[in-house]
Amino acid sequence: MLVALLTAVVTLLLRQRVRARVVVSVAGGLGYALAVAALCWQVVLAPDAPGIATYQVGDWPAPYGITLVADGLSAFMLAMVATVAAAATVFSARYVPSSERRTFYHPLFHFLLLGVTGSFLTGDLFNLFVWFEVMLMTSYVFVAFYGGPLHTRAAFWYVSLNLVASAVFLLAVGGLYATVGTLNMADMARRLAEPAAYGIDTRPTVGLLALLLSVFALKAGLVPFQFWIPTAYRAAPPPVTALLAAASKKVGIYAIVRVSFTVFADAAVVVRLPGIEPTTPLAFVGAVLFVMATGSILVGGLGAIDRDSLEGVLAYSSIGQVGFIAVPVAVAATTTAPGLRRFAILAALVYALNHSLAKGLLFLAAGTVRHATGTIRFDGLGGLARHFPTLSGTFLLGALSLVGIPPLSGFFGKFLVFDAAVRADASAVIALLLVGSLLTIAYATRAWNRGFWGARSPTVEDATIDPVQVAVLVALATVILAVGVGFDPIYRFADAAAGAALDAETYVDAVAPRGGESG
Amino acid sequence: MTAFVLAVAVGALFALGTFLILQRELIRVVWGLVIVSQAANVYLLAMGEIVPGSFESVPVLAGHGEPGSGTTDPLVQALVLTAIVIGFGMTAFALVLSYRVYEEHDTLDVTKLGDRE
Repeated sequence: MLVALLTAVVTLLLRQRVRARVVVSVAGGLGYALAVAALCWQVVLAPDAPGIATYQVGDWPAPYGITLVADGLSAFMLAMVATVAAAATVFSARYVPSSERRTFYHPLFHFLLLGVTGSFLTGDLFNLFVWFEVMLMTSYVFVAFYGGPLHTRAAFWYVSLNLVASAVFLLAVGGLYATVGTLNMADMARRLAEPAAYGIDTRPTVGLLALLLSVFALKAGLVPFQFWIPTAYRAAPPPVTALLAAASKKVGIYAIVRVSFTVFADAAVVVRLPGIEPTTPLAFVGAVLFVMATGSILVGGLGAIDRDSLEGVLAYSSIGQVGFIAVPVAVAATTTAPGLRRFAILAALVYALNHSLAKGLLFLAAGTVRHATGTIRFDGLGGLARHFPTLSGTFLLGALSLVGIPPLSGFFGKFLVFDAAVRADASAVIALLLVGSLLTIAYATRAWNRGFWGARSPTVEDATIDPVQVAVLVALATVILAVGVGFDPIYRFADAAAGAALDAETYVDAVAPRGGESG
Repeated sequence: MTAFVLAVAVGALFALGTFLILQRELIRVVWGLVIVSQAANVYLLAMGEIVPGSFESVPVLAGHGEPGSGTTDPLVQALVLTAIVIGFGMTAFALVLSYRVYEEHDTLDVTKLGDRE
């Protein structure tokens, strides 16, 4: 299972010549996808799969050593990221100019991938922090990549925000260590389940959980932590933005799911807030997430309608879509019925998959448009549909998938999310989802009308298009279509992932921490 | 006593850092970020305590005869070391970045950054 990490690192070591590096980078991207596929097969999909695999780094037993854990949830997330990452590496081989100043693009790209992979696989809270930093540091560089005034400004906000978030994360980690006495997530889950046996004072954990939530929500870009997204996404190179939208945000979501459902699910902790009935941490998470998701869907949707550039629309729509992922997670956290909880997580995962694929495709398409015409503002575009039918077709497909038209992957995502809301019998949630969907339709239509239909502008008339980039787009679009048409295996994979997310017991047993009195 | 001093120190550092982050001058913001992350480090350090040394908490000792009478919590120290290294890298990056901002915008005043695009 470490092949995934190794591929990324080896790619980095072989970075001598510019041309060779591009080749190695693409090979590394594809190799990464293969490694992840192998991992998924071994852990989840194979007939006699164990469902979970652990690796104790340096053979130190948990909870002393660093544990890497791959269960269904990690595998599902990784598979999602790998698909987009492979496409993005091929794409960027043609997109990024290989001049002297840009030489660090490919190594950095793989470091970003490495950080994301690490975050998904680590079984230890502090290592999650370290992997976050690995991921963030490279993304800082990418946001500042073009080095213009706009980019430096965006990068400075991004860096400042994330540094504060890192400090907060450290606080939460330190506090949890002091109260619970371990950093290993499995060990933590076990100790929190019976705090009395380990002499744990549970009162501070709720506040610390809230701190963690705020950090993860910042990474995921949920309202009220969404404000860095539009500028940062516009500043980064499109292939990276595709990966940021597809991967980094999902790391935030993954962390929320992992921490709330694996670590705090069975925790015998009571949340006491002024004015509210005492409740469990999960219900607390659910309520907070729901408020955040509501804000995200509204702010993202309304913001996206108002943008005047392709990437602006996509960035705001990202905010809204993350809200859609958060809603079923909130439903899962609030409900007490295990069946519904599993189903809601499943819905969130499928929706996340759809969002990754569709948004990756859309950002890459926007990148192609910019590469070809030099602009992504709507007033400079128009008539793309007739001039570049293939490119426009893939964009349309991505947009339709976001809206949720069958037989694309988006249909099942939307359908399952709605189904989860209906099963939870929450009319407020359903209303929210309806409003969000209408907003999605509105901004997708508007982007399409202004950018792709209408009279051809002179820039579009003169533009030429890169065939490799379009090929990548077509490949991604095919994947979306394939996921939609052959949905059954995906459903089973997601179901296994949802099961793994909720099965804290197996997770704890697999990591098998010994009850050391460390600290 | 130590706990009290540490608590006051952490609190003061956080207050100072937050104050600096809210300033208009970019360099001060960077300083504020540095101070906040140092405050987090001090806090982390304060989370550990001195415990009787045992093979359980310090497994390395198992190969070296008797454990000492008291050891600090090694895990916390490792965490802080890691955090310091990361913080150091981030500080350098933030400073370089603010230099680039100065080059591109001819100003370090946050409120004037938005004028030129």
